[in-house]
Amino acid sequence: MRNPYAPVRMRVERNAVETEDASIRTLSLSFVERREVFAFVPGQFAELSLLGVGEAPFGIASSPADPDLLDFTISRAGQVTTELHYLEPGDTVGLRGPLGNGYPLEELHGRNVLVIGGGFGFSTLRAFTSFALHPANRGDFLDLEVVYGARNPGLLLYKDELKNWGRRDDMSLSVTVDNADQDWSGRIGTVPAAVKTLQVDPESTTALVCGPPAMIRYTLPVLAELGLRPDRIHLSLEMKMKCGIGKCGRCNIGGSYVCTDGPVFSLARLDRLPREY
Amino acid sequence: MRTIARNEIGRLLDGLLAGYAVYAPVRRKGILVFDRIRSGDEAILDYANTRTSPKHVLMPQMETLLSSCGEDPGVSEHTDCGKPAVLFGARPCDARAFLFLDKVLRDGQSRDVYYANRRDSLLVISIGCTQPRETCFCTTTGGGPLSAEGSDILLEDLGSVYLAHVASSRGAEFAAAHGLLDTCEGEPPGSGTVNGGLQPAIEPPVDLGLLKAALDRSFDDPLWLTLAEKCLGCGICSYLCPACHCFDIVDEEAAGVRVRNRVWDSCQFSCFTAQASGFNPRPTGRERYRQRIMHKFNYCIDNHGMAGCVGCGRCVSECPVNLDMRQVLAAFGGRRGGN
Amino acid sequence: MTDCTARIREETARLLAEGRVDLVIGFEEGSLPLRATPCFITEPGDTGRLIWNAFCSNNLARYLIRSDRKVGIVAKGCDTRAIVELIKEKQVRREDVVIIGVPCHGMVDPHEVRERFGDIRIQTVEDTGGKLVAGDGTALLSMNREDALHRSCRVCVQRNPVISDVLVGEEVEERTRDEFTDVADFASRSAGERWEYIAGEMSRCIRCNACRNACPLCYCSKCFVDETRPQWVGRGTDPSDVLSFHLMRVLHLAGRCVECGACVRACPMGVDLGTLNRRMSADVARMFGCRPGLDPGKPAPLSTFDPDDPQDFMLEP
Repeated sequence: MRNPYAPVRMRVERNAVETEDASIRTLSLSFVERREVFAFVPGQFAELSLLGVGEAPFGIASSPADPDLLDFTISRAGQVTTELHYLEPGDTVGLRGPLGNGYPLEELHGRNVLVIGGGFGFSTLRAFTSFALHPANRGDFLDLEVVYGARNPGLLLYKDELKNWGRRDDMSLSVTVDNADQDWSGRIGTVPAAVKTLQVDPESTTALVCGPPAMIRYTLPVLAELGLRPDRIHLSLEMKMKCGIGKCGRCNIGGSYVCTDGPVFSLARLDRLPREY
Repeated sequence: MRTIARNEIGRLLDGLLAGYAVYAPVRRKGILVFDRIRSGDEAILDYANTRTSPKHVLMPQMETLLSSCGEDPGVSEHTDCGKPAVLFGARPCDARAFLFLDKVLRDGQSRDVYYANRRDSLLVISIGCTQPRETCFCTTTGGGPLSAEGSDILLEDLGSVYLAHVASSRGAEFAAAHGLLDTCEGEPPGSGTVNGGLQPAIEPPVDLGLLKAALDRSFDDPLWLTLAEKCLGCGICSYLCPACHCFDIVDEEAAGVRVRNRVWDSCQFSCFTAQASGFNPRPTGRERYRQRIMHKFNYCIDNHGMAGCVGCGRCVSECPVNLDMRQVLAAFGGRRGGN
Repeated sequence: MTDCTARIREETARLLAEGRVDLVIGFEEGSLPLRATPCFITEPGDTGRLIWNAFCSNNLARYLIRSDRKVGIVAKGCDTRAIVELIKEKQVRREDVVIIGVPCHGMVDPHEVRERFGDIRIQTVEDTGGKLVAGDGTALLSMNREDALHRSCRVCVQRNPVISDVLVGEEVEERTRDEFTDVADFASRSAGERWEYIAGEMSRCIRCNACRNACPLCYCSKCFVDETRPQWVGRGTDPSDVLSFHLMRVLHLAGRCVECGACVRACPMGVDLGTLNRRMSADVARMFGCRPGLDPGKPAPLSTFDPDDPQDFMLEP
């Protein structure tokens, strides 16, 4: 019988600093022994662990189109994330997953997708965007519009990728920062302000949103102004989690568990749940 | 139909000790608990209920899930639960709590192997109640003093003898294999001519259906603030509850041994939901007490078709400030008509 | 007792009506025999809920912590000792609290009563002052009130309120000396025996935090036991973690513990926290001449330096 608490071993292939202050890094992991197919969709998460140190949940930051290397973008906050930051290529780390529901790919088929991310919350949206841009998948979606913001340019993640995306003609990208430095020539302002300038067809557009609470709070009214229905806005939520499989009892919002029923919820569904997140 | 004399129980348990780890009510420093016995006469038969519930038999307060040693990359998964076990003398409420725990931990989409292995090798012999305590409210949540739910064999207490009711196929196999008990065919507990009058009446103070409906619209009710005002925020109610199962997973390392442990946790503790950023979706006692009640009497009914409370009354009798859950339920369920 | 109840109701109604307080914290009838329960009265019309009897054992000072309201509080001697310390530690401002002091005859331990009367289903309890008379609907049984008191009440040196704004009821005679005889036997045992005893008691602890949460002086906004960065104490029931928790707690209460016994009464497992705390209080009394909560003007011994402080602990192993 499969033990849902037992991780598989992963090898660290790369440990890259993402931000200027080095508070966020991305680990790229490969499978050491492949006990089963790791099939996931963008928006799902996994538990990374170091036995004796601890375990913590992270969104899968890479695309399922590249199944051999999993990326996790990790902000240093506590003991586990600090130890994960110290890992070097060749080290091993435990992984449990994929967990959670992920973004509703079927529902997105044949629609415009508006991706809205802020700060560290961009990781699973990066996974979705990479997935959607893959030649095998790009035809499944109509227009792909990505809005991504950070407090300052130094805190932007995935800079090389953003550069590439900016040059593509099969998507549009707006990157914005709250506070610019002298080298910044891009957009200045908040994510909701950037979203406000967009022309979207509300009937054919679905939005995927992940970011800090303040960003979400101010972005939702903008999306409503643009005419998006609550069932066409999907948010990825963060809650304190432990087991990741709906048993330990701490990540519920009403009767729904963020770890198993989420982390992605439509706004329509969230509106029916108590405001306790 | 066969009865077992009260004074036969010790010998019966002695017979089981060879093949089973036997848990029974015992007194430890003056407090009744379920613990392993080494001889049948240790088991206490005259008791209302134990201070702590028997859930630790299936879910110890602390258990090691994984461990590894030194440089060895191998990880041990401590899923083997050892000898099969018998829980003797559980009250029907506590046995019924296992039914609930099964739904959450064993029968859900991710089978919790640690729980499931213990559960699948546990035989539950419960003893029906003849004298409810002033804190009992099993009938409110769907149980009763002679409920056999969650038990494999239910003993009906007739005073000097017990009447054995087989309540599951495993119970039947066990009874046959050990030649211990005959089945009590066709006779539901308490309906026999012998014992009809002994089943005690416990008035349900609240209608669970009405309560559920009331809770559905009570999330923002100001009552939560006043009801929870005296709550100390301790974990007594959670830890003594036979149905509470929330846990934390914590790692430790000492002397080259690395372990991942599961430990009981409580929704009443502020650190239960506090995020690393400092944000806490349940920042005060009001939200935490509401979660406890909502989880048991609303969310669990939606998710598992059963309340996460079996009415054992431990939280009522042991609460240091006498925050009586029955009164809380009545405060919501009692306001019928939704005004 | 009934006189106290009437006076408490009267004073509460007056304080609320005059707008001197936003609420009054007192006791009301519990849901079970042998129990009273804390209650929070904000409306003069609700004062009829308030009672005073032998089961008003919770230390209500615990509810003053982090309160932003003007509070009236019904307080026994030990409750006022806690308030005194909370004021000294700047957790409570004297001007924000109106103390309805009640001289206390000692509170009755329901466990003692049940132990004495066995399995009878107690429905009524009458407190005659000298006796407790319990009834199960058919018969009446009685026992000496003194024999039913909580342990902390048996050794209490401050039954009358230390400070109060209104005094309700007649002052009671104080026991003048406390030689800590209840822990003398424990103190006289060898280190190994003491260790064995404490470890045995701690083996029953279920880490529910009730002792900490019931304690009026345990008000840290983040308790060391909840800290995860670093994790000082493991969360489980490993004996070393259980012991670390209780020893660190008792040391943190050195010179602050007002011996109210709230921790002992809250413990669902009957862990003998009393011995540990009383033993510590005995040391504080001996070394610093201090009984916390008895003297509003006296600084806390462990947060002040005095050249005459005993220093032998630095030299002795």
